[in-house]
Amino acid sequence: MTIDLNQVAFSYATTQGSGPLILENIDLTVPEGEFLILLGPSGCGKSTLLRLIAGFDSATRGRVTIDDKPIRGPGKDRGMVFQDLTSALYEWLTVRGNVEFGLRISGVKPEERRLRCDEALQMVNLLSHADKFPDALSGGMKQRVQIARMLAMRPSIMLMDEPFASLDAQTRQMLQNQMVSIWNDVGGTAIYVTHDIREALNLGQRIILMSAGPAAGIKHTYDVPMDYPRNQTDPVYIDLLERISLDIEEEVKKVWV
Amino acid sequence: MSGKTGSTWRGQLISPIAVIAGLLAWEISARLFIDPFFLPPVSVIFLGAVELYQKDLLFVHIGVSMARILTGWVLGSLIAIPIGLIVGSFLTAKRIVDPFIHFLRFIPAIALVTLFIVWFGVGELSKILLVMYATSFIVLINTATGVGTIHENKKLAAQTFGANAWDIFLLVTIPAAMPSIYVGMRLALASSFLVIVAVEMLAAESGLGYLIWTSKLYFKIDWMFVGIFLLGFLGLVSDYAWKMIGKHVLGRFVRESANY
Repeated sequence: MTIDLNQVAFSYATTQGSGPLILENIDLTVPEGEFLILLGPSGCGKSTLLRLIAGFDSATRGRVTIDDKPIRGPGKDRGMVFQDLTSALYEWLTVRGNVEFGLRISGVKPEERRLRCDEALQMVNLLSHADKFPDALSGGMKQRVQIARMLAMRPSIMLMDEPFASLDAQTRQMLQNQMVSIWNDVGGTAIYVTHDIREALNLGQRIILMSAGPAAGIKHTYDVPMDYPRNQTDPVYIDLLERISLDIEEEVKKVWV
Repeated sequence: MSGKTGSTWRGQLISPIAVIAGLLAWEISARLFIDPFFLPPVSVIFLGAVELYQKDLLFVHIGVSMARILTGWVLGSLIAIPIGLIVGSFLTAKRIVDPFIHFLRFIPAIALVTLFIVWFGVGELSKILLVMYATSFIVLINTATGVGTIHENKKLAAQTFGANAWDIFLLVTIPAAMPSIYVGMRLALASSFLVIVAVEMLAAESGLGYLIWTSKLYFKIDWMFVGIFLLGFLGLVSDYAWKMIGKHVLGRFVRESANY
Protein backbone atom coordinates (compact mmCIF):
# COMPACT_ATOMS: atom_id res chain seq x y z
CA MET A 1 0.00 0.00 0.00
CA THR A 2 1.45 3.31 -1.07
CA ILE A 3 0.66 6.43 0.91
CA ASP A 4 0.55 9.68 -1.02
CA LEU A 5 0.31 13.21 0.28
CA ASN A 6 -0.25 15.82 -2.39
CA GLN A 7 0.03 19.56 -1.60
CA VAL A 8 -1.39 18.95 1.85
CA ALA A 9 -2.14 21.83 4.20
CA PHE A 10 -3.77 21.64 7.57
CA SER A 11 -5.25 24.02 10.11
CA TYR A 12 -7.58 23.33 13.00
CA ALA A 13 -11.07 24.66 12.54
CA THR A 14 -11.97 27.37 15.03
CA THR A 15 -15.23 29.21 15.65
CA GLN A 16 -13.97 31.99 13.37
CA GLY A 17 -13.36 29.63 10.47
CA SER A 18 -9.99 27.98 10.09
CA GLY A 19 -7.06 28.82 12.35
CA PRO A 20 -3.43 29.42 11.34
CA LEU A 21 -1.85 26.82 9.08
CA ILE A 22 0.06 24.12 10.92
CA LEU A 23 1.19 22.27 7.81
CA GLU A 24 1.62 23.60 4.30
CA ASN A 25 2.79 22.28 0.91
CA ILE A 26 3.41 18.73 2.05
CA ASP A 27 4.29 16.40 -0.82
CA LEU A 28 5.26 12.93 0.29
CA THR A 29 5.11 9.41 -1.07
CA VAL A 30 5.68 6.46 1.22
CA PRO A 31 6.20 3.22 -0.70
CA GLU A 32 4.98 -0.05 0.75
CA GLY A 33 7.34 -1.61 3.26
CA GLU A 34 9.38 1.49 4.05
CA PHE A 35 10.46 2.49 7.54
CA LEU A 36 10.00 6.25 7.37
CA ILE A 37 10.91 8.77 10.05
CA LEU A 38 9.23 12.12 10.54
CA LEU A 39 11.82 14.20 12.35
CA GLY A 40 11.54 17.75 13.53
CA PRO A 41 11.61 20.17 16.46
CA SER A 42 8.69 19.99 18.85
CA GLY A 43 5.61 21.81 17.66
CA CYS A 44 6.52 21.44 13.99
CA GLY A 45 3.42 19.45 13.13
CA LYS A 46 4.95 16.02 12.66
CA SER A 47 2.32 14.43 14.91
CA THR A 48 -0.35 16.32 13.00
CA LEU A 49 0.97 14.84 9.78
CA LEU A 50 0.75 11.37 11.33
CA ARG A 51 -2.83 12.06 12.45
CA LEU A 52 -3.75 12.95 8.86
CA ILE A 53 -2.46 9.57 7.69
CA ALA A 54 -4.22 7.84 10.60
CA GLY A 55 -7.42 9.58 9.56
CA PHE A 56 -7.96 11.25 12.95
CA ASP A 57 -7.94 14.63 11.20
CA SER A 58 -8.50 15.45 7.57
CA ALA A 59 -6.43 17.74 5.40
CA THR A 60 -7.67 21.31 5.01
CA ARG A 61 -6.24 21.38 1.48
CA GLY A 62 -4.65 18.77 -0.75
CA ARG A 63 -5.07 15.01 -0.91
CA VAL A 64 -4.03 12.21 1.40
CA THR A 65 -4.46 8.83 -0.29
CA ILE A 66 -3.61 5.17 0.21
CA ASP A 67 -3.34 3.31 -3.10
CA ASP A 68 -5.04 6.31 -4.73
CA LYS A 69 -8.05 6.05 -2.44
CA PRO A 70 -8.57 9.14 -0.27
CA ILE A 71 -8.41 8.48 3.49
CA ARG A 72 -11.79 8.79 5.14
CA GLY A 73 -11.25 8.35 8.85
CA PRO A 74 -9.29 5.72 10.75
CA GLY A 75 -9.25 2.13 9.56
CA LYS A 76 -7.93 -1.30 10.44
CA ASP A 77 -5.27 -1.05 7.71
CA ARG A 78 -3.47 1.54 9.87
CA GLY A 79 -2.41 0.80 13.44
CA MET A 80 -1.32 3.49 15.87
CA VAL A 81 0.99 3.64 18.87
CA PHE A 82 0.33 6.77 20.91
CA GLN A 83 3.03 8.74 22.69
CA ASP A 84 1.21 8.86 26.01
CA LEU A 85 1.83 5.82 28.19
CA THR A 86 -1.52 5.49 29.87
CA SER A 87 -4.28 7.34 28.06
CA ALA A 88 -4.64 4.98 25.10
CA LEU A 89 -4.73 1.73 27.08
CA TYR A 90 -7.93 0.31 28.56
CA GLU A 91 -7.04 0.10 32.23
CA TRP A 92 -10.07 -2.06 33.08
CA LEU A 93 -8.77 -4.82 30.78
CA THR A 94 -5.75 -7.07 31.27
CA VAL A 95 -2.85 -6.97 28.85
CA ARG A 96 -4.54 -9.82 27.00
CA GLY A 97 -7.86 -7.98 27.06
CA ASN A 98 -6.21 -4.92 25.56
CA VAL A 99 -4.50 -6.90 22.83
CA GLU A 100 -7.65 -8.85 22.00
CA PHE A 101 -9.86 -5.74 22.09
CA GLY A 102 -9.57 -5.00 18.37
CA LEU A 103 -9.89 -8.66 17.39
CA ARG A 104 -13.06 -8.94 19.47
CA ILE A 105 -14.59 -5.93 17.75
CA SER A 106 -13.61 -7.41 14.39
CA GLY A 107 -15.45 -10.62 15.26
CA VAL A 108 -12.39 -12.88 15.30
CA LYS A 109 -13.25 -16.25 16.87
CA PRO A 110 -11.98 -16.90 20.43
CA GLU A 111 -9.43 -19.58 19.50
CA GLU A 112 -7.88 -17.49 16.75
CA ARG A 113 -8.06 -14.41 18.95
CA ARG A 114 -6.03 -16.16 21.59
CA LEU A 115 -3.54 -17.38 19.04
CA ARG A 116 -3.01 -13.98 17.47
CA CYS A 117 -2.81 -12.32 20.88
CA ASP A 118 -0.16 -14.79 22.06
CA GLU A 119 1.78 -14.28 18.86
CA ALA A 120 1.71 -10.48 19.25
CA LEU A 121 2.67 -10.65 22.92
CA GLN A 122 5.49 -13.03 22.05
CA MET A 123 6.88 -10.50 19.59
CA VAL A 124 7.16 -7.85 22.30
CA ASN A 125 8.22 -10.32 25.02
CA LEU A 126 5.14 -9.75 27.15
CA LEU A 127 3.55 -13.20 27.07
CA SER A 128 4.37 -13.81 30.74
CA HIS A 129 2.57 -10.57 31.67
CA ALA A 130 -0.62 -11.32 29.75
CA ASP A 131 -2.86 -11.43 32.82
CA LYS A 132 -1.59 -8.23 34.43
CA PHE A 133 -3.44 -4.95 34.34
CA PRO A 134 -1.80 -1.94 32.68
CA ASP A 135 -1.28 -0.05 35.94
CA ALA A 136 0.98 -2.88 37.15
CA LEU A 137 3.34 -2.40 34.19
CA SER A 138 6.36 -0.16 33.68
CA GLY A 139 6.31 2.57 31.04
CA GLY A 140 8.28 0.48 28.56
CA MET A 141 5.94 -2.47 29.04
CA LYS A 142 2.88 -0.27 28.51
CA GLN A 143 4.26 0.86 25.18
CA ARG A 144 4.90 -2.76 24.27
CA VAL A 145 1.26 -3.50 25.04
CA GLN A 146 0.32 -0.74 22.61
CA ILE A 147 2.64 -2.24 19.99
CA ALA A 148 1.28 -5.76 20.57
CA ARG A 149 -2.25 -4.45 20.33
CA MET A 150 -1.42 -2.95 16.98
CA LEU A 151 0.42 -6.06 15.74
CA ALA A 152 -2.48 -8.35 16.63
CA MET A 153 -4.59 -6.46 14.10
CA ARG A 154 -1.94 -7.08 11.40
CA PRO A 155 -2.18 -3.60 9.88
CA SER A 156 -0.29 -2.96 6.68
CA ILE A 157 0.75 0.46 7.97
CA MET A 158 2.15 1.02 11.47
CA LEU A 159 1.98 4.59 12.74
CA MET A 160 4.01 5.51 15.80
CA ASP A 161 3.96 8.88 17.51
CA GLU A 162 7.11 9.23 19.61
CA PRO A 163 6.28 5.96 21.35
CA PHE A 164 9.50 5.79 23.37
CA ALA A 165 9.98 9.50 24.09
CA SER A 166 9.13 9.30 27.79
CA LEU A 167 11.19 6.18 28.52
CA ASP A 168 14.69 5.98 29.95
CA ALA A 169 17.64 5.72 27.54
CA GLN A 170 18.33 2.00 28.10
CA THR A 171 14.73 0.96 27.63
CA ARG A 172 14.45 3.18 24.60
CA GLN A 173 17.48 1.63 22.91
CA MET A 174 16.23 -1.88 23.63
CA LEU A 175 12.78 -1.12 22.24
CA GLN A 176 14.25 0.52 19.15
CA ASN A 177 16.07 -2.71 18.34
CA GLN A 178 12.93 -4.69 19.06
CA MET A 179 10.92 -2.40 16.79
CA VAL A 180 13.28 -2.93 13.88
CA SER A 181 13.14 -6.71 14.20
CA ILE A 182 9.34 -6.62 14.47
CA TRP A 183 9.11 -4.52 11.34
CA ASN A 184 11.48 -6.98 9.63
CA ASP A 185 9.30 -9.91 10.70
CA VAL A 186 5.83 -8.61 9.92
CA GLY A 187 6.70 -6.53 6.87
CA GLY A 188 4.58 -3.53 6.07
CA THR A 189 5.12 0.18 6.24
CA ALA A 190 6.23 1.97 9.40
CA ILE A 191 5.93 5.71 9.90
CA TYR A 192 7.63 6.85 13.07
CA VAL A 193 7.56 10.34 14.56
CA THR A 194 10.47 11.48 16.69
CA HIS A 195 12.48 14.55 17.67
CA ASP A 196 15.53 12.41 18.53
CA ILE A 197 18.10 12.31 15.70
CA ARG A 198 19.83 9.16 16.95
CA GLU A 199 16.52 7.38 17.23
CA ALA A 200 15.76 8.45 13.67
CA LEU A 201 19.11 7.06 12.49
CA ASN A 202 18.68 3.81 14.43
CA LEU A 203 15.27 3.09 12.95
CA GLY A 204 14.65 4.75 9.63
CA GLN A 205 15.44 3.91 6.03
CA ARG A 206 14.49 7.45 5.12
CA ILE A 207 14.25 10.52 7.32
CA ILE A 208 11.93 13.41 6.55
CA LEU A 209 13.17 16.52 8.32
CA MET A 210 10.41 19.02 8.87
CA SER A 211 10.80 22.77 9.18
CA ALA A 212 9.65 24.62 12.28
CA GLY A 213 6.03 25.71 12.38
CA PRO A 214 3.72 27.46 11.93
CA ALA A 215 2.95 26.36 8.38
CA ALA A 216 5.61 23.66 8.63
CA GLY A 217 6.72 21.76 5.58
CA ILE A 218 9.29 19.20 4.54
CA LYS A 219 12.75 20.76 4.72
CA HIS A 220 15.04 17.97 3.57
CA THR A 221 14.95 14.25 3.03
CA TYR A 222 17.81 11.98 4.11
CA ASP A 223 18.31 8.38 3.01
CA VAL A 224 20.04 6.12 5.48
CA PRO A 225 21.99 3.61 3.35
CA MET A 226 22.92 1.31 6.24
CA ASP A 227 22.06 -2.18 7.43
CA TYR A 228 20.37 -2.95 10.75
CA PRO A 229 21.35 -2.87 13.54
CA ARG A 230 22.90 0.52 12.93
CA ASN A 231 26.51 0.92 13.95
CA GLN A 232 26.76 4.29 15.66
CA THR A 233 30.51 4.50 15.02
CA ASP A 234 30.16 3.99 11.28
CA PRO A 235 31.39 7.10 9.37
CA VAL A 236 28.12 7.18 7.39
CA TYR A 237 26.13 7.30 10.65
CA ILE A 238 28.35 10.02 12.11
CA ASP A 239 28.22 12.07 8.93
CA LEU A 240 24.41 11.91 8.79
CA LEU A 241 24.17 12.69 12.49
CA GLU A 242 26.21 15.87 12.02
CA ARG A 243 24.39 17.04 8.91
CA ILE A 244 20.97 16.47 10.37
CA SER A 245 22.00 18.08 13.67
CA LEU A 246 23.03 21.27 11.90
CA ASP A 247 19.92 21.19 9.75
CA ILE A 248 17.55 20.78 12.70
CA GLU A 249 19.45 23.37 14.76
CA GLU A 250 18.49 26.01 12.21
CA GLU A 251 14.86 25.16 12.74
CA VAL A 252 15.08 25.14 16.52
CA LYS A 253 16.74 28.57 16.40
CA LYS A 254 13.85 29.94 14.37
CA VAL A 255 11.48 29.06 17.18
CA TRP A 256 13.76 30.34 19.94
CA VAL A 257 14.95 33.63 18.51
CA MET B 1 -3.10 2.76 49.99
CA SER B 2 -3.20 2.01 53.67
CA GLY B 3 -0.13 2.75 55.73
CA LYS B 4 2.04 0.17 57.41
CA THR B 5 0.20 0.18 60.74
CA GLY B 6 -3.13 -0.13 58.92
CA SER B 7 -2.35 -3.55 57.53
CA THR B 8 -1.26 -5.30 60.74
CA TRP B 9 -3.76 -6.73 63.25
CA ARG B 10 -2.60 -4.15 65.77
CA GLY B 11 -3.42 -1.45 63.24
CA GLN B 12 -6.86 -2.97 62.71
CA LEU B 13 -7.58 -2.52 66.42
CA ILE B 14 -7.02 1.23 66.45
CA SER B 15 -10.47 2.16 65.12
CA PRO B 16 -12.51 -0.07 67.50
CA ILE B 17 -10.46 1.13 70.47
CA ALA B 18 -11.04 4.75 69.46
CA VAL B 19 -14.81 4.10 69.21
CA ILE B 20 -14.98 2.42 72.62
CA ALA B 21 -12.91 5.21 74.18
CA GLY B 22 -15.24 7.81 72.65
CA LEU B 23 -18.35 6.05 73.95
CA LEU B 24 -16.80 5.71 77.41
CA ALA B 25 -15.90 9.38 77.53
CA TRP B 26 -19.49 10.18 76.54
CA GLU B 27 -20.92 7.85 79.20
CA ILE B 28 -18.76 9.28 81.99
CA SER B 29 -19.18 12.93 81.11
CA ALA B 30 -22.94 12.51 80.61
CA ARG B 31 -23.22 10.95 84.08
CA LEU B 32 -20.97 13.42 85.86
CA PHE B 33 -21.21 16.83 84.20
CA ILE B 34 -24.15 17.08 81.83
CA ASP B 35 -27.88 17.34 82.40
CA PRO B 36 -29.11 13.92 81.15
CA PHE B 37 -32.11 15.61 79.56
CA PHE B 38 -29.83 17.30 77.06
CA LEU B 39 -27.37 14.47 76.58
CA PRO B 40 -28.31 11.10 78.07
CA PRO B 41 -25.49 8.62 78.74
CA VAL B 42 -24.89 5.94 76.13
CA SER B 43 -26.34 3.27 78.40
CA VAL B 44 -29.64 5.14 78.67
CA ILE B 45 -29.80 5.50 74.87
CA PHE B 46 -29.10 1.79 74.54
CA LEU B 47 -31.97 1.03 76.96
CA GLY B 48 -34.15 3.32 74.86
CA ALA B 49 -33.31 1.19 71.84
CA VAL B 50 -34.18 -1.94 73.78
CA GLU B 51 -37.49 -0.36 74.76
CA LEU B 52 -38.23 0.44 71.12
CA TYR B 53 -37.32 -3.09 70.18
CA GLN B 54 -39.70 -4.52 72.79
CA LYS B 55 -42.49 -2.34 71.42
CA ASP B 56 -41.71 -3.84 67.97
CA LEU B 57 -40.92 -0.36 66.66
CA LEU B 58 -37.13 -0.38 66.23
CA PHE B 59 -36.84 -2.53 63.13
CA VAL B 60 -40.01 -1.11 61.64
CA HIS B 61 -38.51 2.38 61.61
CA ILE B 62 -35.18 1.11 60.35
CA GLY B 63 -36.77 -1.07 57.68
CA VAL B 64 -39.12 1.64 56.43
CA SER B 65 -36.41 4.29 56.14
CA MET B 66 -33.90 1.96 54.54
CA ALA B 67 -36.45 0.68 52.04
CA ARG B 68 -37.26 4.24 50.97
CA ILE B 69 -33.60 5.22 50.76
CA LEU B 70 -32.43 2.19 48.82
CA THR B 71 -35.39 2.11 46.43
CA GLY B 72 -35.08 5.81 45.63
CA TRP B 73 -31.31 5.62 45.36
CA VAL B 74 -31.31 2.64 43.00
CA LEU B 75 -34.15 3.94 40.81
CA GLY B 76 -32.70 7.46 40.75
CA SER B 77 -29.33 6.09 39.68
CA LEU B 78 -30.89 3.86 37.02
CA ILE B 79 -32.47 6.92 35.46
CA ALA B 80 -29.48 9.21 35.92
CA ILE B 81 -26.73 6.94 34.55
CA PRO B 82 -28.06 6.61 30.98
CA ILE B 83 -28.91 10.32 30.84
CA GLY B 84 -25.44 11.17 32.15
CA LEU B 85 -23.83 8.90 29.55
CA ILE B 86 -25.80 10.57 26.76
CA VAL B 87 -25.24 14.11 28.05
CA GLY B 88 -21.53 13.43 28.39
CA SER B 89 -21.28 11.91 24.92
CA PHE B 90 -23.31 14.26 22.75
CA LEU B 91 -22.85 18.00 22.76
CA THR B 92 -26.37 18.63 21.47
CA ALA B 93 -27.88 16.55 24.26
CA LYS B 94 -25.74 18.44 26.74
CA ARG B 95 -26.90 21.79 25.39
CA ILE B 96 -30.54 20.75 25.64
CA VAL B 97 -30.41 19.24 29.10
CA ASP B 98 -27.77 21.42 30.78
CA PRO B 99 -29.92 24.46 31.65
CA PHE B 100 -32.54 22.24 33.27
CA ILE B 101 -29.98 20.25 35.22
CA HIS B 102 -28.10 23.24 36.54
CA PHE B 103 -31.33 25.03 37.48
CA LEU B 104 -32.99 22.05 39.14
CA ARG B 105 -29.99 20.76 41.01
CA PHE B 106 -29.89 23.89 43.14
CA ILE B 107 -33.46 23.38 44.30
CA PRO B 108 -32.98 21.16 47.35
CA ALA B 109 -35.23 18.14 47.59
CA ILE B 110 -36.32 19.46 50.98
CA ALA B 111 -37.86 22.50 49.29
CA LEU B 112 -40.00 20.14 47.22
CA VAL B 113 -41.36 17.99 50.06
CA THR B 114 -44.70 19.77 50.41
CA LEU B 115 -45.13 20.08 46.64
CA PHE B 116 -44.47 16.39 46.12
CA ILE B 117 -47.00 15.54 48.81
CA VAL B 118 -49.60 17.62 47.00
CA TRP B 119 -48.70 15.99 43.71
CA PHE B 120 -48.09 12.40 44.73
CA GLY B 121 -49.87 12.02 48.07
CA VAL B 122 -48.57 11.22 51.54
CA GLY B 123 -47.75 7.61 50.68
CA GLU B 124 -44.49 5.96 49.73
CA LEU B 125 -44.49 7.32 46.18
CA SER B 126 -43.73 10.93 47.10
CA LYS B 127 -40.94 9.86 49.45
CA ILE B 128 -39.25 7.57 46.97
CA LEU B 129 -39.57 10.18 44.25
CA LEU B 130 -37.85 12.75 46.46
CA VAL B 131 -34.94 10.42 47.13
CA MET B 132 -34.77 9.73 43.39
CA TYR B 133 -34.73 13.47 42.74
CA ALA B 134 -31.90 14.07 45.20
CA THR B 135 -29.93 11.09 43.92
CA SER B 136 -30.30 11.61 40.21
CA PHE B 137 -28.61 15.00 39.83
CA ILE B 138 -25.54 13.91 41.73
CA VAL B 139 -25.23 10.69 39.76
CA LEU B 140 -26.02 12.41 36.46
CA ILE B 141 -23.41 15.13 36.85
CA ASN B 142 -20.75 12.69 38.01
CA THR B 143 -21.51 10.34 35.13
CA ALA B 144 -21.46 13.11 32.52
CA THR B 145 -18.22 14.51 33.93
CA GLY B 146 -16.71 11.03 33.85
CA VAL B 147 -17.67 10.63 30.20
CA GLY B 148 -16.42 14.12 29.36
CA THR B 149 -12.98 13.44 30.79
CA ILE B 150 -12.32 10.19 28.92
CA HIS B 151 -9.08 10.69 27.00
CA GLU B 152 -9.51 11.07 23.25
CA ASN B 153 -6.77 8.49 22.65
CA LYS B 154 -8.96 5.70 24.04
CA LYS B 155 -11.58 6.38 21.38
CA LEU B 156 -9.07 6.99 18.60
CA ALA B 157 -7.36 3.70 19.41
CA ALA B 158 -10.72 1.93 19.25
CA GLN B 159 -11.33 3.51 15.84
CA THR B 160 -8.08 2.07 14.51
CA PHE B 161 -9.47 -1.32 15.58
CA GLY B 162 -12.52 -0.75 13.42
CA ALA B 163 -14.88 0.21 16.24
CA ASN B 164 -18.02 2.11 15.26
CA ALA B 165 -19.74 4.72 17.45
CA TRP B 166 -21.85 2.10 19.21
CA ASP B 167 -18.82 -0.14 19.93
CA ILE B 168 -17.02 2.84 21.40
CA PHE B 169 -19.99 3.81 23.57
CA LEU B 170 -20.39 0.27 24.87
CA LEU B 171 -16.78 -0.85 25.16
CA VAL B 172 -14.94 2.39 25.91
CA THR B 173 -17.27 5.09 27.21
CA ILE B 174 -19.21 3.01 29.72
CA PRO B 175 -16.29 1.15 31.31
CA ALA B 176 -14.14 4.30 31.35
CA ALA B 177 -16.94 6.24 33.10
CA MET B 178 -17.52 3.55 35.73
CA PRO B 179 -15.33 5.11 38.44
CA SER B 180 -17.23 8.41 38.16
CA ILE B 181 -20.60 6.65 38.22
CA TYR B 182 -19.51 4.70 41.26
CA VAL B 183 -18.34 7.77 43.17
CA GLY B 184 -21.47 9.68 42.17
CA MET B 185 -23.67 6.93 43.59
CA ARG B 186 -21.67 6.92 46.79
CA LEU B 187 -22.18 10.67 47.26
CA ALA B 188 -25.84 10.32 46.35
CA LEU B 189 -26.30 7.67 49.02
CA ALA B 190 -25.39 10.20 51.69
CA SER B 191 -27.82 12.80 50.37
CA SER B 192 -30.55 10.15 50.23
CA PHE B 193 -30.28 9.89 54.02
CA LEU B 194 -30.56 13.66 54.31
CA VAL B 195 -33.70 13.82 52.20
CA ILE B 196 -35.53 10.91 53.74
CA VAL B 197 -35.17 12.29 57.28
CA ALA B 198 -36.56 15.63 56.19
CA VAL B 199 -39.53 14.00 54.48
CA GLU B 200 -40.26 11.69 57.36
CA MET B 201 -40.22 14.56 59.82
CA LEU B 202 -42.76 16.48 57.79
CA ALA B 203 -45.07 13.81 56.49
CA ALA B 204 -44.74 10.23 57.63
CA GLU B 205 -46.13 7.75 60.11
CA SER B 206 -42.95 5.75 60.33
CA GLY B 207 -39.22 5.87 59.69
CA LEU B 208 -36.27 7.26 61.59
CA GLY B 209 -37.09 10.88 60.77
CA TYR B 210 -40.57 10.31 62.16
CA LEU B 211 -39.09 8.67 65.28
CA ILE B 212 -36.79 11.64 65.94
CA TRP B 213 -39.55 14.17 65.34
CA THR B 214 -42.25 12.53 67.44
CA SER B 215 -39.90 11.69 70.32
CA LYS B 216 -39.94 15.31 71.33
CA LEU B 217 -43.72 15.12 71.85
CA TYR B 218 -43.19 12.51 74.56
CA PHE B 219 -39.99 14.08 75.87
CA LYS B 220 -38.27 10.85 74.94
CA ILE B 221 -34.86 12.36 74.41
CA ASP B 222 -33.27 8.89 74.51
CA TRP B 223 -35.45 7.75 71.59
CA MET B 224 -34.42 10.85 69.72
CA PHE B 225 -30.81 9.82 70.21
CA VAL B 226 -31.60 6.28 69.12
CA GLY B 227 -32.89 7.69 65.81
CA ILE B 228 -29.92 10.02 65.38
CA PHE B 229 -27.45 7.30 66.25
CA LEU B 230 -29.11 4.83 63.88
CA LEU B 231 -28.87 7.28 60.97
CA GLY B 232 -25.13 7.53 61.44
CA PHE B 233 -24.77 3.82 61.93
CA LEU B 234 -26.92 2.80 58.95
CA GLY B 235 -25.18 5.38 56.78
CA LEU B 236 -21.82 3.97 57.76
CA VAL B 237 -22.95 0.41 57.09
CA SER B 238 -24.50 1.25 53.69
CA ASP B 239 -21.43 3.21 52.65
CA TYR B 240 -19.21 0.35 53.72
CA ALA B 241 -21.38 -2.13 51.82
CA TRP B 242 -21.12 0.02 48.67
CA LYS B 243 -17.39 0.26 49.13
CA MET B 244 -17.14 -3.53 49.40
CA ILE B 245 -19.29 -3.95 46.30
CA GLY B 246 -16.88 -1.60 44.55
CA LYS B 247 -13.83 -3.49 45.73
CA HIS B 248 -15.00 -7.04 45.22
CA VAL B 249 -17.76 -6.99 42.59
CA LEU B 250 -16.97 -4.04 40.33
CA GLY B 251 -13.25 -4.43 41.01
CA ARG B 252 -11.32 -3.49 37.90
CA PHE B 253 -14.04 -1.21 36.65
CA VAL B 254 -13.86 1.22 39.56
CA ARG B 255 -10.18 0.69 40.39
CA GLU B 256 -8.83 3.14 42.98
CA SER B 257 -12.22 4.84 43.45
CA ALA B 258 -13.19 2.24 46.06
CA ASN B 259 -10.03 2.70 48.09
CA TYR B 260 -11.23 5.45 50.41
